[in-house]
Amino acid sequence: MNLKLVLNVVGRVLKMEAVAMVIPLVVALGYGEDPLPFLYSILLVLLVGLILSVLPAKKHFYIREGFASVGLIWIITGVVGALPFWFSGYFNTLADCIFESCSGFTTTGASILTDIEALPKGILFWRSFTHWLGGMGVLVLATAVIPSLGIRSHYLTQAETPGPVFSKLVPKQAQTSKILYSMYCVLTLSEVICLKIAGMPLYDSFIHAFGTAGTGGFSNRNASVGAYGSFAIDMIISIFVLLFSLNFAVYFLLITRKFKEVLRSDELRFFLCVVAGSTLLLCINIYPLYSNVLETFQYAFFQVCSIISTTGFATTDWSFWPNFSHFVLVILMFCGACAGSTGGGIKCSRVLILLRSIRREIHRIVHPNSVEVVKLDGKVVEEDTVHSILVFVGCYFLVILSAALIISLDGYSYTVSFTSALTCVSNVGPGLELVGPAGNFSTFSSLSKLVMSLCMIIGRLEIFPILILFSRQSWRRA
Amino acid sequence: MKIIIVGNGKVGFSLAEQLVKEKHDITVVDVREDSLRRACDLLDIMVVRGNGVSADTLREAGADHSDLLVAATNSDEVNMVCCLIAKNLGTSYTIARIRNPEYTATLSELRRNLKIDMVINPESATAVEISRLLRFPAAANIETFCRGKVELIGFRLQQGDFMVGKPLHTLSNQIKKLPLLFCALERSGEVSIPNGSTVPQAGDKLYLIGRPDSLDQFFRILGRYTPKINQVLIIGGGKISGYLAHMLSKMGMRLKIVEQNASRCRSLSERFPKSTVICGDGTDQELLEAENLSACDAFVALTDRDEDNLIISLYATQKGLPKVITKCNRQNYAGIARSVGLDSVVSPKFITASNILRLVRGMQNSQGSVMNSLHRIADGAAEAMEFTANSSTHHLGISLKDLRLKPGILIAVIVRNQEIIIPEGSSSLQSNDNVIIISRNSGILDLNDIYQEEKAVPGTVGGAQ
Repeated sequence: MNLKLVLNVVGRVLKMEAVAMVIPLVVALGYGEDPLPFLYSILLVLLVGLILSVLPAKKHFYIREGFASVGLIWIITGVVGALPFWFSGYFNTLADCIFESCSGFTTTGASILTDIEALPKGILFWRSFTHWLGGMGVLVLATAVIPSLGIRSHYLTQAETPGPVFSKLVPKQAQTSKILYSMYCVLTLSEVICLKIAGMPLYDSFIHAFGTAGTGGFSNRNASVGAYGSFAIDMIISIFVLLFSLNFAVYFLLITRKFKEVLRSDELRFFLCVVAGSTLLLCINIYPLYSNVLETFQYAFFQVCSIISTTGFATTDWSFWPNFSHFVLVILMFCGACAGSTGGGIKCSRVLILLRSIRREIHRIVHPNSVEVVKLDGKVVEEDTVHSILVFVGCYFLVILSAALIISLDGYSYTVSFTSALTCVSNVGPGLELVGPAGNFSTFSSLSKLVMSLCMIIGRLEIFPILILFSRQSWRRA
Repeated sequence: MKIIIVGNGKVGFSLAEQLVKEKHDITVVDVREDSLRRACDLLDIMVVRGNGVSADTLREAGADHSDLLVAATNSDEVNMVCCLIAKNLGTSYTIARIRNPEYTATLSELRRNLKIDMVINPESATAVEISRLLRFPAAANIETFCRGKVELIGFRLQQGDFMVGKPLHTLSNQIKKLPLLFCALERSGEVSIPNGSTVPQAGDKLYLIGRPDSLDQFFRILGRYTPKINQVLIIGGGKISGYLAHMLSKMGMRLKIVEQNASRCRSLSERFPKSTVICGDGTDQELLEAENLSACDAFVALTDRDEDNLIISLYATQKGLPKVITKCNRQNYAGIARSVGLDSVVSPKFITASNILRLVRGMQNSQGSVMNSLHRIADGAAEAMEFTANSSTHHLGISLKDLRLKPGILIAVIVRNQEIIIPEGSSSLQSNDNVIIISRNSGILDLNDIYQEEKAVPGTVGGAQ
């Protein structure tokens, strides 16, 4: 492992993050709040970044350095993001700050805050802005704005972009990252405008647009989106949440007028079918509670979009919904958004390939000599990819179970331990019971909070970039 | 430029590597998943898996709006069809690698009907290169400009040459009078542009540019003049040998070809009845001795294996043959070969990639001054380019000593109305001049690229003499 070069890359990304903190600083100054938490953080991050980025290093950069850099950068980013929270003095322990920051960058949206509205606007802005940065990816941004990292940058973005197969939109990585971020910015701004028109204050529009864009779920209201009680706002957020959980390659195909290929996408159709199907099931299940078709649809649709995209906004406390609805939502938490989106979870394309290889396995038992390939979007999926997806899903469950085991030390119920681990790994936000949409994570022990923070990063980076940091093999010289 | 390369083999990969360095958008198409993965890991390119003859695959690679498509799969037929389809989809320029000699006769017809803009044949290009080296044995390599009016020659200095250890400005008047220019010096892998105070040492490779007859005279003075080559021994009877034998026998050289495969020997003998074709193992020293190796004027090693070529070439050098040429495809062997004294190493892959690169550079600056030719010298560490100056060129008519050129750039020769001028401080560029530039930096696309932007150190003008 070329640790010096890895640290060098970390340093350069840190410098970029220091620059990103200038935006909440300006917001804080604009509202006449105390800018010191941001000033301290910027100076500290800049200093560390400068020291690391002047490290002389050999240009030996391969996949292992790429994965390790990504893992390290995300863990450090989680800590760095916690600095403004820590300096602000509104948080009790360092573990709380790290939890909140990781939850932000990984677009989980789980919070330890009991009274969000009491916090200054600058801090809340930073909290939501981390969603926006983490959604498309810190490193995708780095490859877009740092002219030449001087290394094979696709190793970095490859490890950060969710999905089973990594593909570029255009031949150059830097160009691909720029296109992704421009589409991301345009979509975010259109949401801000829509929300403003629907009657949300401008500041709140930005906060919720960031929460939607990164599929995070931090709100500046205690009752989340439910606080506005507006049908229009609910629908705007539902639709945009769906838009951000689609593969961004779809938008590129639309821009380049390749409509046929968009229609050919199996993942897109599967995702939309799941959304429609679960909305229908929830509507039937919760209709007796509301007895109003429109209201039932409004709540069911919003909750389904919010959970499958792994955002975690809530318009109502669905803890009192029937158990069947809970279970549908938990299944959606596993499933997650599309590959190449800003959402988390296992990802629809993986679920689809998994289902298809199960069908193939059954077929093989019936016809032992049959040869059948798994296809996605009309193209053959390589056996290697199928294999890696199976391993990924296995690891996913293993991580959730291990985390739930540690969290259960706190003595909460099976449901709480399990769903809090699940919601963290899938980057959703709310779980069930104590950690439900109306609850929060403040009562957990510091150990649980740190484990959950790590789980969020593991889930965001799709497991392996973090596991490689804990593997002895990757640190050996040869 | 948007460039698609179909076929990620030896040539395809090294071409992609070079073009990525020059900041082009490269998409590579191949059927083999593992080779694509390797390319994707090593280079900043996009890859598309699929067959190059499928319109869907080509469209996915962006053939409908790309500037250039290079078809370099191992099948001539696939390459031809691929070019045709790409052209119909909307690619502006297509290049096909066609190597089967059977197609040579009908090539122009094929090109017209299949809308192929350029055909590259690595074997034939390599044979052309070798035949040029054999025509001028004193040079380790040789490039021509302005339709043969100017030649650039690289040669290695040996212990005992009168130039060794003396600064260039002390050379005798006899040499100074010749219209020649020492334009580059390669010492242990580093290339520099020499000036009057440069002291050549034994083992250095010097590049000399000028008229062919003055170069001839220079080598006579140096005592390196080798009379015309008459007897050539070629080891290996593959495609390159076929093309080479055809060219050399036209030049009146006597050939001896050693090839292991009996049926190939028969077909060679059928095509070149005047040559001696020997069926046997060319790497066998006994056989070489029996064929009286040391009586030959030149030795060309063209077997399939780089290692065999290097070893038998070393053997031939040891036997004191005046000219030994080695084919070596692997770029990393070339340095090793040079260090053991093999100077004339040719690589089909490198030659092909250079030819395409020249074309790409030429296409890029269709507005500015026209690049007529580009040669990469010293294993690509420096480039020699020929431009035609036109009205778009800056600083016309200003004497060179007042111009500020980028460091590492040399204006080597100006050809004006058939007259060859070795520039001095008082010379100036004029419209319609052909100008030959030596550059240590890659990426000079236009004659205007050689000028230094405001306020900088003056470049080397005029050079050695």
